[in-house]
Amino acid sequence: MTLLELEGVSVHYGRIQALRDISFTVEEGEVVALIGANGAGKTTTMRTISGLLNCTEGKITFAGQDITRMKAHIRVVHGISQAPEGRGIFPGMTVMENLDMGTFGRKDRSGVSKDLDRVFDLFPRLKEREKQFGGTMSGGEQQMLAIGRALMSNPKLLLLDEPSMGLAPQFIRQIFKIIKEINNQGTTVLMVEQNANQALAGAHRAFVLETGAITRSGTGKELLEDPSVKEAYLGVG
Amino acid sequence: MSMTDGPTPLQTAAAEQAAEDREASSKAPGRSSLRPQGKRKSGYFSDRWHALSRQQQWAFLVVVVVLAYMLPLINPPIITTEPGNNFALACFDMARFALIAVGLNIVVGYAGLLDLGYVAFFAVGSYVAAMLTSPDSPYLHIPYLWTLPVAMAVTMFFGVMLGVPTLRLRGDYLAIVTLGFGEIIRILATIIPAMKGQVGFQNVGHPPGDGADGTPIFSNSNGVPWYWLTLTIIIIVTLLVGNLERSRVGRAWIAIREDEDAAEIMGVPTFKYKVWAFAIGAAVGGLSGALFAGQVGFVNNQKFDVTTSILFLAAVVLGGAGNKVGAILGGALVSYIPLRFTAIAEYKYLIFGIALVLIMIFRSQGLLPARQRLLAYGRTALNKVTSRDATETKDMDKPPAGPDARAAGQRGAEA
Repeated sequence: MTLLELEGVSVHYGRIQALRDISFTVEEGEVVALIGANGAGKTTTMRTISGLLNCTEGKITFAGQDITRMKAHIRVVHGISQAPEGRGIFPGMTVMENLDMGTFGRKDRSGVSKDLDRVFDLFPRLKEREKQFGGTMSGGEQQMLAIGRALMSNPKLLLLDEPSMGLAPQFIRQIFKIIKEINNQGTTVLMVEQNANQALAGAHRAFVLETGAITRSGTGKELLEDPSVKEAYLGVG
Repeated sequence: MSMTDGPTPLQTAAAEQAAEDREASSKAPGRSSLRPQGKRKSGYFSDRWHALSRQQQWAFLVVVVVLAYMLPLINPPIITTEPGNNFALACFDMARFALIAVGLNIVVGYAGLLDLGYVAFFAVGSYVAAMLTSPDSPYLHIPYLWTLPVAMAVTMFFGVMLGVPTLRLRGDYLAIVTLGFGEIIRILATIIPAMKGQVGFQNVGHPPGDGADGTPIFSNSNGVPWYWLTLTIIIIVTLLVGNLERSRVGRAWIAIREDEDAAEIMGVPTFKYKVWAFAIGAAVGGLSGALFAGQVGFVNNQKFDVTTSILFLAAVVLGGAGNKVGAILGGALVSYIPLRFTAIAEYKYLIFGIALVLIMIFRSQGLLPARQRLLAYGRTALNKVTSRDATETKDMDKPPAGPDARAAGQRGAEA
């Protein structure tokens, strides 16, 4: 079943067009990656889906419902949750309080403790650090916290904006494993990545974004072997 | 689902965390020396405070409150503002500033919205009280005490009026618009005939009651009853604000202050909560304005300039933005210093300026920095936190800290 569908979505910053006529779908249960260079519109796409940006044209459908004009905080209630770029955690709140903020829009308080266990299972480090302030943690821990916090709303669709940004290579591998694990537990994942190699290897399907438009699409494996993708994003060729 | 369904990523976690530790320690090598372990200066008082038992805290509070009420009667030597200024009136002025700071702290300290036009709400409150009680005003007259809630309601309305169009702006832009709003109110008071510009309103009402000699208890020259009234209102407002701070609303405000976009995608209706912060903050400012109008007995357009707004903001920042007790202290201090040194008139603002600079150098987070950790989990969790990690609290604005914070965190985990 199609969970998320973008049809002809365009986004402008003032008069500058950041996305042109983007269309793609995310099926339930998938991991989908969007790859592209700096300034290709990856983060803009994410912010448009989560509702922080309004699209100027086009339509966004989520779980069969038109959410094009829906406010970001209501989209969370409907099941879209984002771990923002640059992590976007609350630096002055403890890990626990950050996670608690993730449940802000939730209606079913009873499910909270189950999701907390799930997050602590995925990220044992967060449990160790539950009383520590978000701002005093390392980059990797902040990334875990951002993902954990996004999971606390028990989303149908998890949006990850550059989950590997600024992390050590070994830790990048761990993050991608965890993303896979989150997906195995039943959450659909849409991620944006510069680290094309890892992203394509871990994704069912992927799209290449270039200057605001989708130029290529396919399964992760197909794109990994595509010569032009190899040359442009994988550093070989 | 549990670990058993997907243990793969977790088994290697330990090794990878070690790698990640190396990454983190290489990231901020120089920072460790900045922060002495174990003790942090600015949280000293709050740490001491939270180490006390509930009963001790109450006892301490009762003593402080009683002392605060007695302050104008004791008229302590050295501290007193006399002979330059009547001490009871000075106390009222301090209380008035403290109340304003509590209100502005909701806007600036909790929700992080920089408001440079807060004096406008104070002005609206003053004018409401004046226009509803002064014989100079042709309008409906009501008993003075009724003007307090009316002033709050009217300023709240103004807060929403200002908030709805402007709160889509952020940071500097919001500050500039609020600055303009402050000026608009002042200029309106000058040009609208009904508000009587510089002529103003005489004989603004006061609470009922006459003393033994037939003069009103709440006279313009007697600061004590006004001080007591304002102090009582401060206590009530602080209790209410404290409850709000610990509620869902308070958490939403803090989240907005910390990162507005992140708050929005956590499901916080940021716009709504920002308007609420503005409205509630405005209401407290209006209340303070109405009290001021009653005590002085005269309202015209001369007292509501930008400088006053900046002074209000200074009170909040000085006290520690985000901490209501700090705001009270900061407000009282900003009012007190110039009054205390009136005798050496030429130097009083020099002393004031030096005092502000010194406080900002030695306590850059304000006299009592915000305890941001209290948000969600109440006292029990808080006590656990304070006993476990006294290290990482203050420097929340700083980027991820170095190895010392890490070590402290691990110690905390082992404890």
